[in-house]
Amino acid sequence: MSAPDGIALAGVSKTFAGRGKVVEALRDVSLTCPAGSFTAIIGPSGCGKSTVMRIALGLETADTGEVRIVGDTPLAAARAGVTGVAFQDAALLPWRSVRRNVEVPLEVLRQKPAEHAERVQGMIELVGLKGFENALPGELSGGMRQRVAIARALVTHPQVLFMDEPFGALDQILRRQMNVELQRIWTETGSTALLVTHGIDEAVFLADRVVVMHADPGRIVEVVDVSFDRPRRPPLFSDPAFHKVCDHIAEVLHGG
Amino acid sequence: MAAETRRHRGIFNLAALLILWEVVGRLDLVAGGALPGFTEILARLWVDRADYPLHIWATLTASAVGFMLGNLAGIGAGVVFALSATALRLFRGVNVAIFALPPIAIAPILVLTLSGMAPRIVLAALGVYFVTMTSTVIGLSQADSRATDMIRAYGGTKRDVLRLVQFRGALPTILAGLRIAAPNAVLGAILAEFGGGGRWGLGAYLLGSLGRGEPDRLWGIGLVATLIAGASYGAFALLSTRFLGATRAVTLNTAVPTGKPDPGHPLKRAALAVGSLALPFLMWWAFIRLTGVPDMIAKTPLGVVDYLFVAPTAEAAQAKLLAALGQTLPITFLGMAAGLAFAFVLAISSKLIPHAVEAFTPVALVTQTMPLVALTPLLVLILGRGNALTLWVTISVTFFPAFVTLAQGIALVPRTAGDLPRVYGASLWTEMRMVTIPAALPYLFAATRLTVPRALLGVMIAEWLATGKGLGNLLNQSRGYLDYGMIWTVAAVSVGLSVAFYQLVVFTERRVLRRLGMTTAE
Ligand SMILES: Nc1ncnc2c1ncn2[C@@H]1O[C@H](COP(=O)(O)OP(=O)(O)OP(=O)(O)O)[C@@H](O)[C@H]1O
Ligand SMILES: [Mg+2]
Repeated sequence: MSAPDGIALAGVSKTFAGRGKVVEALRDVSLTCPAGSFTAIIGPSGCGKSTVMRIALGLETADTGEVRIVGDTPLAAARAGVTGVAFQDAALLPWRSVRRNVEVPLEVLRQKPAEHAERVQGMIELVGLKGFENALPGELSGGMRQRVAIARALVTHPQVLFMDEPFGALDQILRRQMNVELQRIWTETGSTALLVTHGIDEAVFLADRVVVMHADPGRIVEVVDVSFDRPRRPPLFSDPAFHKVCDHIAEVLHGG
Repeated sequence: MAAETRRHRGIFNLAALLILWEVVGRLDLVAGGALPGFTEILARLWVDRADYPLHIWATLTASAVGFMLGNLAGIGAGVVFALSATALRLFRGVNVAIFALPPIAIAPILVLTLSGMAPRIVLAALGVYFVTMTSTVIGLSQADSRATDMIRAYGGTKRDVLRLVQFRGALPTILAGLRIAAPNAVLGAILAEFGGGGRWGLGAYLLGSLGRGEPDRLWGIGLVATLIAGASYGAFALLSTRFLGATRAVTLNTAVPTGKPDPGHPLKRAALAVGSLALPFLMWWAFIRLTGVPDMIAKTPLGVVDYLFVAPTAEAAQAKLLAALGQTLPITFLGMAAGLAFAFVLAISSKLIPHAVEAFTPVALVTQTMPLVALTPLLVLILGRGNALTLWVTISVTFFPAFVTLAQGIALVPRTAGDLPRVYGASLWTEMRMVTIPAALPYLFAATRLTVPRALLGVMIAEWLATGKGLGNLLNQSRGYLDYGMIWTVAAVSVGLSVAFYQLVVFTERRVLRRLGMTTAE
């Protein structure tokens, strides 16, 4: 008997009805992420990437289809502390310091933050925010806030990690650094990762598979396998083979 | 820099006002000395200084205890309502009734059914409950959806969201509510003192001094009452500014708010509507049963129906009630319409003559913390005991809150909205017609909703204390005649009227604004 897939969506559809117009956000989306794999989703704005993630997290319910996280329903998986998440928006609590924001998932999962002080500190250092432990979100730059969100997503050592454009507000250099870091952390934890991104190069650098979506209705048009050796290093960004994969994805993205 | 000059101008205006007051007062220019000079009032305060501590103490304890109980109830109910839309719907009738009831109308029945300080405490608590409950519900439901999503993504329950996000996020809103609730508690306590006899309390003192024709003492009491209410406002204003800093989200939440939850089965909706209508009467009935006051004195809803329609004296009672309504209602509408109209015109002209209005705004804001209706005895000195008094009391209690609501609403209209017509060469008047007036409309409705109960309260107080006409007088007289049925009837009718009129405004507001594609303003 094989281990259950990390993330499994089968025939998921979702329609939003609001303010007189109806949006078919997802039509018959099926996606399987084997345990320990890294999947990236890419697509034009409004094609339903965030919706896929929100459904997998149990924040929205699908109209049809089925969702399994490590063989469980999203809610059960979340309660068991299986999932970690970094949103498109950092979504920090403005009245909590950096450290206390990173501790939030532990509190929700009824773990004593005091017992994990070292891990929390480690995560803050990992994202390069040493010295800012007691700063409030209002005192940080947009990129720093996103890094807090990433530290927060990793602090529970999640088996399944969801990230919705976690590096959106970072500059190119920091973004590459964080890409390398993320790969390292992911390799170490062996988690199943699902990354929503707008950066083709980022997707190709990090993922085993890149899922390309189109809008109206939101659907998967192609899944591109990326088979570069791991660990991948920054020079890969200028490799011709790397560019070939990127060009192909760009074609799928823009073409029919 | 700009804030500093504004503060300087504020101090300057205040000083100018005080000097004007002093000159006018010393020269006895107003109604033959009804307005003493400012220093004369201070001198009288000093002479009366031995009287004050006990009166102040009585009013303060009643308002403080009422404030605490009202907040406990308000926050508790707010949490329940924020968690359960069903509970909110079921209690809508009770909430509207508590918002709309003119406190003076129920002061006598509280005195009949409760004893000691309890009536004052209850009236203070009632003045607090609605404000705190609403701000709690608003504060809790305005929680940043991104933050709640994050908690839910980790399997957090409603309680986790409440604990980690909503409570702390709601604090500034709740504190802002407490700021308004605190002077309300003082007002409630004073009004109960008007309605309930008793020796101590600033309201009792004011009432006792009314007949003696000593303007300087009356003004002194008014000043002290205003200071207490103002200080309670200031204390919470300070607290809330201290909290606001760290609570505002750093970026704007752009998520589409999920509209009202599914209203559910039509049958359930109907049941809720009926329940919400019946609940206030049920609570009225339960209140009487719980206090154990005999039926002779305490009338249940059925008792009032009996008194007004069945009993042998029913016809006489009806005639008295109708005559009183005939006196009260026209002047209420007139005063309210005039107050709203003044407020609307002045707020709108803030675009035309910004400086004049800007200088006036601090005055209007200060009046928000004054127990305005409790100062009616002062107006009696100036205006006498005729209809003019009633009208002016009503206008002043409606004008100020309406102006503040409207001015703040108009200030929210983005400047760019006004720039657009001007770019195309529109005249100032065209710009007003296209932008300012339509933008002010939702706030005009909000102001009307706000002033309905106040207008009725103002009229009834003036009638009770001075003019000897209308519902207020009927209530006061019935106390003297021990006509218990009438006391309960007037209380029920005035609350009912206030609620009905409030609902009428809400209904019109929804229809008009929906047709214009606008949303209601809070
Ligand atoms: N709560 C909602 N109510 C109504 N429509 C929604 C809601 N959430 C998403 N949508 C609609 O569903 C579609 C997909 O939205 P989604 O947020 O998943 O897009 P996205 O691919 O993440 O876009 P972006 O790259 O800009 O983040 C959009 O058309 C959006 O308007
Ligand atoms: Mg998105």
